[in-house]
Amino acid sequence: MVIETRRCSGCQACSVACKAEFDVPLGHTRSWVETIEKGNYPAVSVNFLPRLCNHCRHPACVDVCPTGATFKRSADGIVDIDPDVCIGCKYCLLACPYDARFINPLTGSADKCSFCLHRISQGVEPSCVNTCPGKARIFGDVNDPKSEISRVLATNPVSVLRPGMGTEPQVYYIAADNYDEHFRERGWHVNVATHRRQKERR
Amino acid sequence: MYNRRNFLKLGALAAAATAGLSGGALTAVHELPIRGGKDFSPKTGKPRAAIPSSCWNCVTRCPSMGYVEDGRLVKIEGHPKSIRSEGVMCAKGQAGINQVYDPDRVLYPMRRVGKRGEGKWKKISWDDALSEIAGRLKKLRDEGRPEKFAFHYGRMKSSSSKLIKSLFLANYGTGTIGNHTSICEGGKWTAQELTWGGHYDNWDFDNTKYVLNFGSNVLEAHTNHIPTAHRLLWAMAERGVKMVTFDVRMSNTAAKSTEWVPVTPGTDLAVVLAMCNVVMSEDLYAGEGEKFLKYCKATNAHDATTGEKISALKIHLAQYTPRWAEKISGVPADKIRSIAREFATTKPACVINYRGSVAHYNGNDTERAIQMLASITGNIDNPGGRCKAVGAKWKYPKGPKNKPKSRKLKIMDGPKGAAALPTHHMSHNALKMIKDGSAGRPDVYMWYCYTPVYANGEVQENIDILKDESLIPFTVCVNPFYDESAALADIILPDATYLERWDYEDMVSPNQVAEYAIRQPLVKPLGESRDFGDVCIELADRMGFPLGVKSKEEFVQKSCDMTPGVKEAGGFEYMKEHGVWHDPDAKPRYFSYKKVVDPSKYQKDGVILDEATGVYWNWKKAKVKSEEEALAKGYAHTKKAYTGYVGQKIGNVVYSGFKPDKVNKSGYMEFYSTIMEEKGFPPLPTWTAIPEHQTMNKGEMILTTYKVAVQIHSRSANCKWLSEIYNDNPAWINPASAETNGIGDGDRIRVKSHIGEIEAIAKVTPCVVPGVIAISHHCGHWEYGRYASGKKAPFADDDPDYAGKWWSGAGTHPNWIIPNAPDPVNGQLRFMDTVVSVTRI
Amino acid sequence: MVEHLNWGLPVIGYLFLAGVGAGALTVSSSVLLRGGGGGFGGRHFKIARYGAFIAPFPIMIGAAMLILELGSFEAGNYLRFLNLFTTINLSPMSIGSWLLMGCLGASLLYAYTFWPDGAEPGDEMEKYRRGLAWVCVPLGISVAVYTGVLLGAMPARPFWNSPVLPMLFLLSAISTGIAVIMLTQTLLHKKSTTEEEHRTHHESGYILTATDLMLICFEVVGIFLFLMFAHLTVGDVKYAVSAILPGGDMASMFWFWVLLVGLVIPGALEMIYVFPRLINHREFAAPAYVEYVVPVAILAGGFMLRYIVVVVGQITGPVGI
Ligand SMILES: Nc1nc2c(c(=O)[nH]1)N[C@H]1C(S)=C(S)[C@@H](COP(=O)(O)OP(=O)(O)OC[C@H]3O[C@@H](n4cnc5c(=O)[nH]c(N)nc54)[C@H](O)[C@@H]3O)O[C@H]1N2
Ligand SMILES: Nc1nc2c(c(=O)[nH]1)N[C@H]1C(S)=C(S)[C@@H](COP(=O)(O)OP(=O)(O)OC[C@H]3O[C@@H](n4cnc5c(=O)[nH]c(N)nc54)[C@H](O)[C@@H]3O)O[C@H]1N2
Ligand code: SF4
Ligand code: SF4
Ligand code: SF4
Ligand code: SF4
Ligand code: SF4
Ligand SMILES: [Mo]
Repeated sequence: MVIETRRCSGCQACSVACKAEFDVPLGHTRSWVETIEKGNYPAVSVNFLPRLCNHCRHPACVDVCPTGATFKRSADGIVDIDPDVCIGCKYCLLACPYDARFINPLTGSADKCSFCLHRISQGVEPSCVNTCPGKARIFGDVNDPKSEISRVLATNPVSVLRPGMGTEPQVYYIAADNYDEHFRERGWHVNVATHRRQKERR
Repeated sequence: MYNRRNFLKLGALAAAATAGLSGGALTAVHELPIRGGKDFSPKTGKPRAAIPSSCWNCVTRCPSMGYVEDGRLVKIEGHPKSIRSEGVMCAKGQAGINQVYDPDRVLYPMRRVGKRGEGKWKKISWDDALSEIAGRLKKLRDEGRPEKFAFHYGRMKSSSSKLIKSLFLANYGTGTIGNHTSICEGGKWTAQELTWGGHYDNWDFDNTKYVLNFGSNVLEAHTNHIPTAHRLLWAMAERGVKMVTFDVRMSNTAAKSTEWVPVTPGTDLAVVLAMCNVVMSEDLYAGEGEKFLKYCKATNAHDATTGEKISALKIHLAQYTPRWAEKISGVPADKIRSIAREFATTKPACVINYRGSVAHYNGNDTERAIQMLASITGNIDNPGGRCKAVGAKWKYPKGPKNKPKSRKLKIMDGPKGAAALPTHHMSHNALKMIKDGSAGRPDVYMWYCYTPVYANGEVQENIDILKDESLIPFTVCVNPFYDESAALADIILPDATYLERWDYEDMVSPNQVAEYAIRQPLVKPLGESRDFGDVCIELADRMGFPLGVKSKEEFVQKSCDMTPGVKEAGGFEYMKEHGVWHDPDAKPRYFSYKKVVDPSKYQKDGVILDEATGVYWNWKKAKVKSEEEALAKGYAHTKKAYTGYVGQKIGNVVYSGFKPDKVNKSGYMEFYSTIMEEKGFPPLPTWTAIPEHQTMNKGEMILTTYKVAVQIHSRSANCKWLSEIYNDNPAWINPASAETNGIGDGDRIRVKSHIGEIEAIAKVTPCVVPGVIAISHHCGHWEYGRYASGKKAPFADDDPDYAGKWWSGAGTHPNWIIPNAPDPVNGQLRFMDTVVSVTRI
Repeated sequence: MVEHLNWGLPVIGYLFLAGVGAGALTVSSSVLLRGGGGGFGGRHFKIARYGAFIAPFPIMIGAAMLILELGSFEAGNYLRFLNLFTTINLSPMSIGSWLLMGCLGASLLYAYTFWPDGAEPGDEMEKYRRGLAWVCVPLGISVAVYTGVLLGAMPARPFWNSPVLPMLFLLSAISTGIAVIMLTQTLLHKKSTTEEEHRTHHESGYILTATDLMLICFEVVGIFLFLMFAHLTVGDVKYAVSAILPGGDMASMFWFWVLLVGLVIPGALEMIYVFPRLINHREFAAPAYVEYVVPVAILAGGFMLRYIVVVVGQITGPVGI
């Protein structure tokens, strides 16, 4: 998936689409949006950073999973979870550098964005992509050179989140603002907020 | 000691080894997936039943697709075939599900026991409820006092409005009808009626090259939100369209704009006038603007030449220099100049504005000035400009022929003289007027899709009045939910939610091609809830004036089967299956005013030329006795003459021009308004300062209120998925103001206006203009169920998910301290003008 | 803050107890094998015996706590945790669980060899005992190490992602293992009847204390290295470790409990009594209160080390996005 942040207005339609699609219990999120507010009046900017599981090429979550409940699909590289195998040890929650996972209280198993496997396997685009008013989310097969997403990747400067983690995310960002509250020392007002239960970025 | 790399390899191995465990299909994802229209259960993989309908969570009413699994509504998406929404949907629309299954929903008719507002209720049968209500109403009607039945609605549109207002209320005979328009955008509409006639401006983002925005939060709110918002985002991303946003705070719209220009509250008018000054003084009107002036009225003479108009404008605007405007608005003169030039020289360009520039003391002229700015740059009703809205034109069963002459209590337009031209009323003063009593008091006060105590200013006063049984003997609330106002009713009639109703819809198309849509139930109404449309039909039967339809469904069905276009496409059956229809051959409608009127239209009997205005009008339609009387009174001074408008004579051609509505204006785009003049206001858009802002003491601030992308007014706070995202609304304060008032980020503060005070939490942020305190709408509920206020309704059900509710507070509601003060011209509630003092607690 | 912890007290308790158990087991079996004083337990057979009996319990209790914390268990799928043993992969937790099971099994058998009342060096159980001891030492050590690896495996948790951590946990494990043995010995030790017994008691005490002192010194070095490495790096780890450096969220806790209570105090007390014996061969005689204070302090310190490490690891994370 590619997320074109310049097209994102922080409307949260994706968050709710995802919530509804999977009836995600209150307090948990597969998809969320961060708001990055920075600068000093009147030179201020607000940027939005939609977040979800990166379906990493080297998924830290898979590395640590003791049961194999979390696995990377060889067919398409999607990182999936088998809730019937998962014991809920939370190891993957800690291993994921993107805080993309949670324990679903209903199943007791780890849960996260599944790239809407149940839709895409039937040829329908993911719910969050479908609803996005800005068309900020582009989904497709990066291995298919003819696909829209390959074109976008090829013709734009893209980045991934926390590349230092060696996970090689498969969710790419265009014009992502990676400014962080740690940079406050530079004397700017910086405020990164999410609307998840865990208010701050993790 | 610990080698990640080969650990990874083996990790992958392990994954491969266990891949077999996968439940989901292993088919790889290749060709690009199709856009929506289908959904499947994530658990079983089975398709979910897809039913086309229409959203109603906000006034925009986007066509939607509902998905039902085992009889339960589980998902709502945009309608992939809609030319308005183009298949996308906002967060609010999708959370509508939460309303159907709101555990605090009212599912049975309720009668209060104990004192009004005490919160004690008794479940009663529909029969009891309706016989009591019909009994009281019939008595009033039979005694010839139908006006004693006051009906007050909030959002009541298209088929609901026709059935309830044009059929039920009209045949009942009461004219004591209030709305929420004067707390909404009524001021904007009046100002448009004064300039270009019928209201609603559509912004043609598909074709524009430049957007200039005064106080519209189009990417978060707006009356035609999703259909316009997504187009604007695409235009900016794909065509590099520039947008400059004037706002008193950094809205998401400002955030996405090429530039956010902070402006002092209530001073957009000064900026706009200065921009007009630049356009005129630098002759930037030349070309498109000059051509368009032919259709404008800029002097009191209706037949002035373009040259005369230009000099008149130049003279009037000379005083409004950018320097002058800088002193008032805080916007640097150079910025005003450069933006004005850019706007005037980029063609086509679109100037947009909403409540931010309108909900003020000087809102009426701000809207008129903006119409003028668009006109002199030739950006009116043109591709890429500010266009006359196009919407669906439904036919509907008109019901009984001989309607009684309606009678009304004059309580909806505010006290005498409060507003000169309240063409959309001043209903926010309705309860005040009832208390005052001089215009009489209703025996029955019924409200629908409306929350008088939460939505208006002066919350406390409205609560006190509504509670007082001596002022209003009998109150009925029609509502699926237990909101702050329902708590003050004598009887609550449980309405079906919009996801359980029938309707046809007609909302504005962003692309100037009308779209016809219907709303059909996605699930059966829960409990005993009933569509109020059906209830009105039964009430009419009980009172002995049948409306000619058996149900709302039949009303919608007949409308589909009698509306040209829809009918040919297959009528009701087609609409049920497809949800939306538009004429595939229809061309986008622009320049409607340029249409030359066929002589047969104005040379026929009854149509006369009004020499004073150049208007051809049909005095018969205006219900004048004789042609003599018509000629004697003249077009301008004949009551409702505008209903007979035929065309505008310009030179010696008759154009359809800008058709008037609500007031007898000419067929010109009027900057020079004789109507305003006769009401004692300057005829041309003229700067007026906001009185109370001129006498502020040091440290005092201006309170602003706004909407956010994930909530709708008071109504969506019971949507758990939305309130989980937005459940708190700290007060935005600029660091500079925070310092002068000794306030730190996160401090509890007291915000005090002359009518009361509230407590809030301070959010010190550079995203707001110094001297402004911005508190959003939507929060601070004290009823409306557990997800809104943490308080369950008296007859609540339960919801396992409630255990996961992790937020506690409910935020603050600013309306406790916002006075119900009107714009002196149009009566619009001045939401953004309140002066407050802010102190740390 | 606590709301953010995916791993809470149960896991912390588990890490601590597994350490104690593994430590006790290692100590017991190594004393048995190389205890001096006449081979295979010899005079210190008693210590070995205490250790052997103690070891299984913390391990079992810890494991139980762990299972209680599992999401699946909380959601009512009480047996799903068995999936842990349907596969083995390179997840530290997978390996760890198998190790733990092995360790638990071995320790139980090992304990059984000490069961008979007359159990003494050279009895008929001897060869099993010895054989098991050879197994228990590596098992004990690897379990102790794995508790550190479990945490260290994740770049996403910079605070834990340090090679020093497993070493630290190993040292602390053995030291706490010794501590429980000391404690039991002191608790169970009645006024020694014979002069001989009396001396043995003190001798064993000396062995334990001396070893422990050494471990404590290593631990101090370990912690120093841990902090130094972290401090000298940049970015994530540096930000993370600042949580326990002066001014950090958990600094005071760390310095008071882990360093002062867990290491300095017991270390100091131990020195007072070890050095005389070591340098001028005086008789090792620690007063009763020391025999209580020292082990308790060490155990407390050991627990707090796990607590602080586990918490800080979770409240800190990668910097920037
Ligand atoms: N999400 C959402 N969408 C909605 C609604 C909703 O409740 N929620 N409601 C619908 C309805 S009924 C309506 S009427 C529309 C309203 O749509 P809008 O009028 O666009 O929305 P508002 O938030 O009322 O006001 C817009 C902006 O005016 C700014 N403002 C305040 N004072 C000033 C000023 O003096 N000058 C300038 N330039 N700006 C100022 C505020 O900061 C705010 O950002 O939205 C519709 N759409
Ligand atoms: N501070 C502040 N106040 C504002 C605004 C603001 O921006 N800031 N915006 C103003 C604007 S633009 C407007 S339009 C008004 C809106 O004012 P209202 O129209 O009164 O507010 P809503 O929340 O849209 O709806 C009112 C009530 O309708 C009920 N309701 C919801 N669904 C249904 C239904 O299906 N059937 C029936 N019968 N009832 C239903 C709910 O109980 C809700 O409380 O608020 C105004 N008030
Ligand atoms: S739906 Fe699209 S535009 Fe809205 S927040 Fe999500 S990504 Fe951004
Ligand atoms: S983002 Fe996290 S959960 Fe998703 S694949 Fe990467 S590591 Fe795993
Ligand atoms: S929680 Fe489930 S998925 Fe995550 S590591 Fe444990 S077993 Fe694997
Ligand atoms: S792809 Fe599906 S699961 Fe993932 S965030 Fe989007 S909607 Fe949620
Ligand atoms: S914009 Fe309004 S009508 Fe359209 S989907 Fe959103 S809430 Fe519904
Ligand atoms: Mo509105």
